[in-house]
This record gives sequence, structure tokens and C-alpha cells, in this order.
Amino acid sequence: MPNSKPKSPFSGKMERKDNQSPQGEVAGILVEFLEVAITSVVYLKGIYPSGAFERRRYMNVVVKRARHPQLREYIHSAVSGLLPSIQKGLVERVAVTFFNTDNIPMERFIFKLMVNQSFGSKVEESDLEFSLRSFLIKLSVSQSLTTVLPRDCRWEIMAYFRSLPQVSTSKDAEMWIPTDTKQWQQPPLITPIKSMNSEPLGLQLYLEHPSPAEQVSG
Amino acid sequence: MANDRLQACPEQSSSSVSSRCFDNHGIRGSPTSTVIGPSKHRHSTLGDPNFVENYFKNSRLHFIGTWRNRYRNRFPSLSNGFTKSHSNVSAGTQKTPIIHIDMDCFFVSVVIRSHPELNDKPVAVCHSDNPKGTAEISSANYPARDYGIKAGMFVRDAKSLCPQLVILPYNFESYEEVADQFYNILHKHCNRVQAVSCDEAFLDVTDLEGKDPQLLASAVRKEISEATGCTASAGIAENMLMARLATRTAKPNGQCYIHPERVDEYLDQLPIKVLPGIGHGLAEKLKNKNVRTCGELRLISKDSLQKYFGIKTGEMLWNYSRGMDNRLVGMIQESKSVGAEVNWGVRFRDLQHAQHFLLDLCKEVSLRLQGCGVQGRTFTLKIKKRRKDAGEPAKFMGCGDCENLSHSTTVPLATDDIEVLQRISKQLFGSFHIDVKDIRGVGLQVSRLESADTSRQAPERNSLKSWLMSASASSKQQFDINRIAKECVDSEGKSVGGNSGVLRIASVENSVHETNNAPNGEGGSNQSSSVPPLCHLDMGVVENLPSELLSELNEIYDGKLVELITKRKVQGDKSTGSACFFPPEPAQVAVEEAERSRNSASVSLRRTALEMKGTQHILEELRMVPDSEARPDSVAISTAGLENNDLVPSSLSQVDTSVLQQLPEELRADIFEALPAHRMPEGTALGPRTDNMHPPLGIKTATDNQPGSTDSGLSNNLWIGDPPLWVDKFKVSKLSTLNFFVDMYYKANSAESLSSILQCIIAESLHPLNARCDAWNEAIHSFSELLMNYIKLKIVVDIEEIYVCFRLLRRLSTKSQFFLEVYNLVFPHLQASVDENYSGTLHIPPIK
Repeated sequence: MPNSKPKSPFSGKMERKDNQSPQGEVAGILVEFLEVAITSVVYLKGIYPSGAFERRRYMNVVVKRARHPQLREYIHSAVSGLLPSIQKGLVERVAVTFFNTDNIPMERFIFKLMVNQSFGSKVEESDLEFSLRSFLIKLSVSQSLTTVLPRDCRWEIMAYFRSLPQVSTSKDAEMWIPTDTKQWQQPPLITPIKSMNSEPLGLQLYLEHPSPAEQVSG
Repeated sequence: MANDRLQACPEQSSSSVSSRCFDNHGIRGSPTSTVIGPSKHRHSTLGDPNFVENYFKNSRLHFIGTWRNRYRNRFPSLSNGFTKSHSNVSAGTQKTPIIHIDMDCFFVSVVIRSHPELNDKPVAVCHSDNPKGTAEISSANYPARDYGIKAGMFVRDAKSLCPQLVILPYNFESYEEVADQFYNILHKHCNRVQAVSCDEAFLDVTDLEGKDPQLLASAVRKEISEATGCTASAGIAENMLMARLATRTAKPNGQCYIHPERVDEYLDQLPIKVLPGIGHGLAEKLKNKNVRTCGELRLISKDSLQKYFGIKTGEMLWNYSRGMDNRLVGMIQESKSVGAEVNWGVRFRDLQHAQHFLLDLCKEVSLRLQGCGVQGRTFTLKIKKRRKDAGEPAKFMGCGDCENLSHSTTVPLATDDIEVLQRISKQLFGSFHIDVKDIRGVGLQVSRLESADTSRQAPERNSLKSWLMSASASSKQQFDINRIAKECVDSEGKSVGGNSGVLRIASVENSVHETNNAPNGEGGSNQSSSVPPLCHLDMGVVENLPSELLSELNEIYDGKLVELITKRKVQGDKSTGSACFFPPEPAQVAVEEAERSRNSASVSLRRTALEMKGTQHILEELRMVPDSEARPDSVAISTAGLENNDLVPSSLSQVDTSVLQQLPEELRADIFEALPAHRMPEGTALGPRTDNMHPPLGIKTATDNQPGSTDSGLSNNLWIGDPPLWVDKFKVSKLSTLNFFVDMYYKANSAESLSSILQCIIAESLHPLNARCDAWNEAIHSFSELLMNYIKLKIVVDIEEIYVCFRLLRRLSTKSQFFLEVYNLVFPHLQASVDENYSGTLHIPPIK
């Protein structure tokens, strides 16, 4: 079932197919991780009441999971729609952007991905998870690096492609809308949160904030 | 698991004197009822003033639960003695033959010994054979099981399946007698016996070389049958798990040997539910993942299992599904909790009546604690509350449909004292705010057990006051007070409901009280002479204590403590520099260091303070103690150099070390840096780990991805090799500055990352980088080249490392002209690279 929809990490996907390519396996793990990490970001920013989340365990760390089905579904379908493109190495960045009521971006969490397309050996899942786990841990203590958002913020998930995918292969992928939105007028300020670099996968998480110049011009 | 089952059994008293050991038994026989001969007893709390006592006299589960104490008293040396020597012998050996032996439907067989005519008839044991048939079957023999009769069934239903079913009452005396005979025989044949229950045990027969374990098992079974008139079944295998499973196959009255080579085959189709430790909940979860048999379970990797079920459970599942079991016979699991619960016949008239019952329950629990020789710190009161719409239960005097409520509290000093128990449970009871008429069951559990001997020997150790008495203001004792504070907070965090605070105070008082009564009576005499003088207290620690503890301390110091704290705070707000109670070493070092540098001391130290303030955010995240109002943030702004020391008061002991260990290296390093040296933990467990997650910088790195460097004149190969090329290059240099970097490289240990080397440099108090030597510019150039190489190498894949490096450099640049010049030289290059790769500017937090 190559087109089957990935299950939510919270519901416990246990077996991965053995006949998968290393890229497929990495992409699977990464998509699962992104769902959890994006939920953590949204939780961290506190734009929903904390009662909207419940505790779950993922990779043996305590994480949050959205309780509202719509919120959960948005995050889940967004990242699982990226699965085929991530696998092919087309996705360069996944951004979680928070806007104020005037639709001006206040803060962006950027996941920068590099899935090594020429990696051919076996993926050591446990090593990968060990590294990914450190993102979740560091994220949970990174509140002080982030800005305080005004009330009534809006947020969205955005993906940057190295090149646009051709015909989408899954239903989830169809939900992605091409856009050429430019987020910043001026180069933003970058604050790194966590980086990892292994042979099959490189991943970095950093923050973007408007530069002082932007605030003046905006 | 067992407890759940026991509770589900509506009329029963569960006593969890030993969790693991009668798990097995509980699961097998648990949904059974147990009060014998009810016609002779009054049925409820309403009619019987001694209800609790009578209730437990007639309870089978109570018999099982308390049986272990009896066994230990009978075979004290046997049940404990061999454990140590034994584990040495067989720890490594795989071929340990184990026999698991289990009496066949013990509770029935023992009773029908005196009724040989019933041997082939269906018989069940039950506390009551009244015509209503609302009592539950406790145990049924094999002929009865053929009719589909199971433990836990209502007598009524059982009789409709098998009208000729004979119901017999318990005979506790015979049970004791047979259990004793059973164990006498086992101990005669083998000196390594682990009792599981009154009718079930493991034998380790490694020592009996030359004897075939199968022959031994038949001999033992034969002897048991002759001596007791009851049959037993045996399983023989390589480990306890397989032996137990073999017994399952062997029953009834048989024995089964599982050859090591046939383990896989045996397990393949075995339903997972049969494995010990897999209860209903776990089986359900596995079933959702389409795992029903051990064979299917084996297909899942250990990692996945541990990920989804936790390290321990995951490992257990993985091992068990392969027939692996590392437990040794004789490793007796200590009881985790002791308690008593009554869920049958509970009906209260009024509050007084309920409290009377509660006091009796405490008496029972206190006796059980004493019987087991343990004392406990956590007390959990469970109440079954009738659901609003639930009518009178089908079962006579049962609890029916209930909500299960529970409140718990933890006290600092373990106790088995009946009066303490009564006071605690009364307070817990009060916190339920419940109409006593709705109560259908009450249970009291005591956990966090300590052996009564050790807790009697050292009550002083646990008491706050005794700590103060003996304190000589050494830093180690400051740790103690932290520990106590943390424990209190821990317990507060774990307990449910708002009553814990009150109770905690009560129990602290209690512990103080006991100390004063201690036979050697060293405490209590003269407080002011034995507590450390006020000026010896570490105020950073004191200010962060929970307010209850603080107020207690304050009383001991006649109110001077709070006064002092207030004063400190005022001073802090004025930024005049607060009183420093320990002229701290680190601060002195810092001052010296600062003087050595070209910048003024105040600037340099202010810098450090600000850095620390940054990490403080992290610490606050990690802190487990609710932040007290005394966070001296003002200190960070202060210009006084000595303040330094108070920035991270008492933090480490309040940080969850497991979190700390999970943190990425850099973050941890930040925290350690922020810690004043005199509060560094003992031991190295918390030290920055040396393993790091960055893969070695090999030639494979992503330099190819790097679009043309802005400084094409630089070669980027300085970081290639092990040790990297620059190390050799700098080593042979005549410049002492460059030699210094080489030293730092070797000191840093995880030398692939520049940040760890910079960390080392910061930690170094003496470095030669300040003296302008002839080759000053040459050194600056060489190091800048190294840095730019590094940026080029890392910018694409690891901006975090670059970020950490430049924050460290920035900090160094305030201490040393050398680093200031390097920083200014390389910074534009850095930003150009960042912009090129990330279309932005790296944000290095400003230093004012």
C-alpha cells in the first residue's frame, strides 16, 4: 500500500516496512517527528489554552498532543502530505509562522531538512531518534528565545520546495496550495535552536524574527 | 494489575502485602469472593461494631496476602539466606534448570480431602451457599471447570450450568497445614526455593547435579500427593518464565519439560495474555496493533516496543516473547505497598460511624505494617462512592456500581504508628467531602516502604531539626536541606487534592517530636546553641525553600530569618550589592581574572552576570520547585562583582538530573557555567558528558554544497584529520598563543567541535592571550583563519554550533583583547555566510 496515509505518531505506528528505501524510512520518521514537533511549537507559543493539549509520550519524552480533532488533523494532514516530497528530497524548509491580527508575521519556526538522496545503507532508527529527541527536549526549554505574541494570533504551516513536485501522489498532498508569498521585507534575525547532521538526514531548527529595520518599514 | 482486579471484585478485601508475588495468584483466583459463613456474622458495618476485624478473619485474599509473613517466619533463613551467594553462581550461566511447582486447584483440593466421594464430582469453594446464589465462586475443581464454571461466577449462574455442583466453605486451618507441608517437602529436596504463594513455588536445582530435574519433579510431586492428599503439577525449563508456562501445559496433575530448543516452537502460537506481566490493558493495546501471539510479538523490534511501552515494559515484552527471563530464583520482590481495603458490607449511618470504621481500618493496616516489618511514607485513602443512579447492588451487601476516588499524602518520616495513621487518614478522609451514606468501600494503602529497622535507627537523619542541630554550616549540609525541600515538594506534586500541605506540616512537627524523644536525646536541649548561626546559612538556598519550610526555619531562628531575607531583597533592589554570607571563592577568582584582563573588572563581571541571566531562563524551565518570590533578578543588574555568586541559588539540587542529562551538551554546559563552583554537585554524574552528537568532521562534510566562499584565499582543510590539521600546525608554532589552543584542544576531549574548545578556554582562568607579544597579529590571523574555516564547514549543516561558538567568542572578547580583535575580524564574514545560506542575520544576544 504505497499510498496509504501515515498514521499519527500518537496513535502508535510500530512497524515500518522492511523493503522501504532508506529515504522512505527517513521521511517516515521525519514526518512523524514533524507532527510532534509542530504540535510542541504551537503548544509552546500558548496560542491555545493549555487544556487543549494532553500529555503523550513520544520517543520516550513527554510531549503534547492536540485534543481538538481539527487542530490535530490540520497538523497531521499538512505534514503527511509532505511525505512523498520529503522522501524525494524536494522539501527544503518547513516553517511554522505566527501572524498578528494585521497578518504581519511575528515569528517563524523553521525546520530545515536535508534528506540525503545518495544514502544507501541501513538507517539506524535508534540513532536518528536519539538525535531527534534532543530537538523536542530543547524546544521545550526554548520559550525564552521566542517573542511574546499579541492576542488573537493566527498561525500556519508553510513548506519551501527546492523544486515544485509534479502530480501529487496522495490526497493529503493535494491539500497543499502553491504560493509565492514573501514573508520578510528585510533579512530576519536568526536564532538557532537545534541542529543535527547525520549521514541520512540533516535537520536544523531555528527561529526567525523581524529585524529592527523591518519593524520600522512595516 | 492485580490490585485492579481485586478492586473489581466487588465484595472483596484486597490486601496488597506483596505486589508481585501474588500477582500470579491474584490473577488466577482473584474474582472470587471470600467471606466465610456469613450467616453467623453480621453482614455490614451497620450491625457489627467489630466489622473490620471479623471481615479480615474470613477473607481468603487476606489469607493469601498475609500468608507470606507466616512463611517468612517459618523459613526465615531459607527465604532470604541464599540469595546472595546464589546470584554469584548462576548469574552468567544459561543452563539453570528451574522447576515451577503449583498445587492443583488448591482451595478446592484441600477441602475435599475429607470427602473422598467428591473426588470426581464438580466442586467449588465459596464463602456462602445461600439460595439466592449471589455469592461468587472462589475456586472450582477440574470436573466443575468442565461445565464451564470459573472463579468469579455467581453461584446462581454456576448452578444453572451444573445443577449438581457441590459448594463447600473455606477451611483456613487446613490451608495453612497443607501449605506448610508443601513447603517442608520443597525445602527438603532443594535449598533454593522461592515461594510465590501458599501453593506455588520455584525451585532452582542447579546444584543438584547428576539428578535429572524431571525425576526430581516427579519425586516431589509424589511426595506432596502422599503427604497432603492433594496433587501438584510441575513445569521444568531453563528459566522461571518457561517453567511457569510449562506448568500451565502440565496441569492438572502432570509435569512438562520444555527443552531449550523447543522454546520458540512452544511460544510461537502462545497467546500473549498467558505471559506473566501482560494484563488486560497491555493485551488490549497489543491487540490493537494486531499482536495476539508471542510469535507476532517477536516481529516487533525492541526499539519500537520500548518506544511505545516504555523502556522496562518494552524490554520485558521483547524478552518474554523470546522465552528469555533473567530473573533468578530467590530474588524476592520486596513489597511495594501494604494496605487493606474493604469493599463489601460497607454502609455508614453517619460521619462518626464512618470514622470509627476508618480507625479500625488503620489498626488493621498498622498491624500489617508491623507484621511485615516495614514503615511507609505515602498514604493513599481510596473510597468507593456509589454512583448517583446506582441502586442497591445485585450482590448482597456488595458495592455495586461505584466511582473510585483516592487521595494521598506523603510524610517525611516513615511510620507504622497507629495514631499517626489514624490522624493522616482522618485528614485524607476529610478532603473527600463526601456524604458517608454513599460510601461503599474504603481502603488504605501505605507505600514508599522502608524497613522498620533502618527507619528506627535513624529517625534523626530525616528530621529537619536534627539536621539543623548537627549542622556545622558545611556546604554538604546545604545540600541536605535542599534535598529535604525537594522531597517535600515532590510529595506535594504527587499527592492529589489540596490537603497535602496541611498534612506535611503536621508530619514535620511529628518528626521533630520523635527526635526529641529519641533515647539518646541529643536534640531538643538548647536550640540556639546548636543551630548554625544565621550568618552561616546560605541565603540563596534558604530563600528558595518552600514557604512552609521557611516559616518553620524562621521559628527556629525566632523570626530573624525572614527579617534578613527582606533586608537582602531591599538591598538587591537598590542594586547596592547584597550581603554575601560566604565570601565565595569563585567570585574572588573572577575578580583576579578580571584584573588581569585589560578591561575593567566591573565590565567583565557584569558581562558574565548577564550571560548567566540568560541561562537562568533555562534553569527556571527546569526547576521543579515552584518559584518562590525571592528570585534575585535584581542581582543580575547590579554592578557589584560579588553578586555573581548569588545568581543561581540552590538551583542544581532542584533541577531534575535526569532532565539535565537528557539535555544537549551545549545547553548543559551553559548551565554548569552558570553554577557557582561551591554548589557543584559531587561526583561526575552531572558533569558535561564527553560523548557528543556531532558526527566527526570528515572529508565527507558538506563543503561541496557550499557556494563560493566569500574569502576564497582561505583553504578550508584545517579541520580535516584526527587530530585536525590545525592542531599540528599550531603545535609547532613558536607563538605561545597558538600552542595554548593546542593544549585546549586536548583538554576539551570532544575536540571535533570548536565550541567545546572555547568552553575549555572560558573555564581556564589563566591564559596567555592577553599579553601582546611580537607575533600578536600573526596569532590573530591564524586563529581567524581557523574560525573562518570552521564557519565554512559548519554553516550549511550546523548553524547551532556556529551560534554557540560566537556567543562564547563574544563572551571571551570582553575578557581578552585577543578575542575581541578576532571577533571583530570574523564577525562580518560570519554574517555574510549566514545571509547567503539562511537569508538572514545571526542574532547574537547583545551585551549591554
